[in-house]
Amino acid sequence: MNLFRSEEHARNWQGYQEGAAAGLQPLSAIAAIWGADRYRERLNGHYVSSARDYLPQVAEITARVTGGNPFWKR
Amino acid sequence: MADRDLLDRAFHRVLLTFIERGSAPHYTELARDFGLAPEAGRTLLHDLMAAGIPAWLHPSTELIASFAPFNNLPTHYCVSVDGERKWYAQCGFEAAAMCWIFPGKTVVVEAPCLDCGEPLRLTMRDGEVLAAEPETMVGYVSLPPKEWAQDLAFA
Repeated sequence: MNLFRSEEHARNWQGYQEGAAAGLQPLSAIAAIWGADRYRERLNGHYVSSARDYLPQVAEITARVTGGNPFWKR
Repeated sequence: MADRDLLDRAFHRVLLTFIERGSAPHYTELARDFGLAPEAGRTLLHDLMAAGIPAWLHPSTELIASFAPFNNLPTHYCVSVDGERKWYAQCGFEAAAMCWIFPGKTVVVEAPCLDCGEPLRLTMRDGEVLAAEPETMVGYVSLPPKEWAQDLAFA
């Protein structure tokens, strides 16, 4: 999971796989997914106990920002 | 397996230690913090790492290698908070979640682009992208999320 200067740079990277093109996302999508409670609630003091509760929301956000692409299905 | 309450507290303690000093605690520190014998601290660490969180030990050791969003080994994602640079993000995507660990603070992630080596700089606060340099910055992962757990370090 890496950041690149642009889509062109990501596609030019030696680790890029054409079959996994859906793994390429704008920064706004990455910030939205990693803004879900699964990531923002880590300091709440009961994170391990609650971790499973966060899955539906992160799945919903992921589906929304990736257009429901099956690559991103969790 | 340690009870959930103890796992919650151990998880919290690991993150607080990262925040404070930029590196992970050893299991003996966890043991001391929770009034346990060192061996019980070791068991607690292993239980925590098996609790389904994105974290892992360095191979053949009992040392935390990575504990999202932090990495205990330096990565190319260098993190500064309000100008202090002493943390590393687990990966480029977790770099975007680092701001939740430092609420109200300006978090800057600096990294080289893996394609060209030129710098990237991402500035966030409380989930908001304040600046992305260059503005064309993107994220890429070749492994679908449902396969991440099989090889977290690779993903």
